[in-house]
Amino acid sequence: MLARLLRSIFLIDLLKGLFVTLKYTPRPAFTFQYPAERRPVAPRFRGVLRLQVEPETGAQTCIVCDQCAKACPDELINLGGHREPGRKIKVLDYFDFNLSRCSFCGLCAEVCPTKPVKALIMSEDYELGTYSRNSQVLRVDEMYDGLPIQQYNR
Amino acid sequence: MGLIDHRFSDNFITTNVDQVLNWARQSSLWPMGFGLACCAIEMIASSTSRYDIARFGAEVFRASPRQADLMIVAGTVTKKMAPVLRRLYDQMPEPKWVISMGSCSNAGGPFPTYSVLQGVDKIVPVDVYVSGCPPRPEALLYGLMRLQDKIRKETTVLRRERVIMAGQTEPIMVEDRG
Repeated sequence: MLARLLRSIFLIDLLKGLFVTLKYTPRPAFTFQYPAERRPVAPRFRGVLRLQVEPETGAQTCIVCDQCAKACPDELINLGGHREPGRKIKVLDYFDFNLSRCSFCGLCAEVCPTKPVKALIMSEDYELGTYSRNSQVLRVDEMYDGLPIQQYNR
Repeated sequence: MGLIDHRFSDNFITTNVDQVLNWARQSSLWPMGFGLACCAIEMIASSTSRYDIARFGAEVFRASPRQADLMIVAGTVTKKMAPVLRRLYDQMPEPKWVISMGSCSNAGGPFPTYSVLQGVDKIVPVDVYVSGCPPRPEALLYGLMRLQDKIRKETTVLRRERVIMAGQTEPIMVEDRG
């Protein structure tokens, strides 16, 4: 009883709490300054889809086999190509990827059969803000280079 | 006013008022967190000290729409929730903005069913769509920065009103309505 009275007179509990605050005060800030520094993602992180080229030659790796389009549970991928005489693989004409519904499951990248360079991968990009629903459909050049930073014009 | 409407370039008379007002608006966006599903967890995470949405002046998550400028729709909007969402949007004071966060509120996500609204832009005008399932907190911050870019380019005094016509997804100017 007396101990409890003394504790409330001398504000022991309050001082204990303040001591915790004091202990954390000199520590450096915990915050990632996001636009300035980018936190590394986990190695198995699945970002937006990306088409890859051959690293040395820059040649097309996608063989237009349509497997990714078949694997997609929401049918978001549309691609097509044509044969050219003298080329072993089909030439990619269009690759439309409707980002708006994508749940980033990675099934499309999993079934991609090209070796040794996978044509379709889940990249580490996650900056995907857009101003309209139309610009959420990624075309071929955006599939190679990633979605550029959108510019708003009124 | 019909005589001088849109005769001059924007803000011919009120030159720098826009810049001051837009600066004030972009740096104190009070969001109303409309967390409906797993995206809400990422929205909450973006206000923690690790990501700290307070650096953009948007840390004051309001539970009341009357104190909010920005509605972050995070999660699957079911058709039962849609009228509630629209009512809360109507109760927000102007100027107001909407961020649609995640695949579900962008387009319905993996639920093309009878009970899920296929995109929140069917009922409210969305300013920024943030893709991801769910988007990382950084992605939400990126979307917020895109919205701040948009606010910076808006005119405040001669505000050109945009409407979304029935059956369309893109907003058009009121005077182009025809």
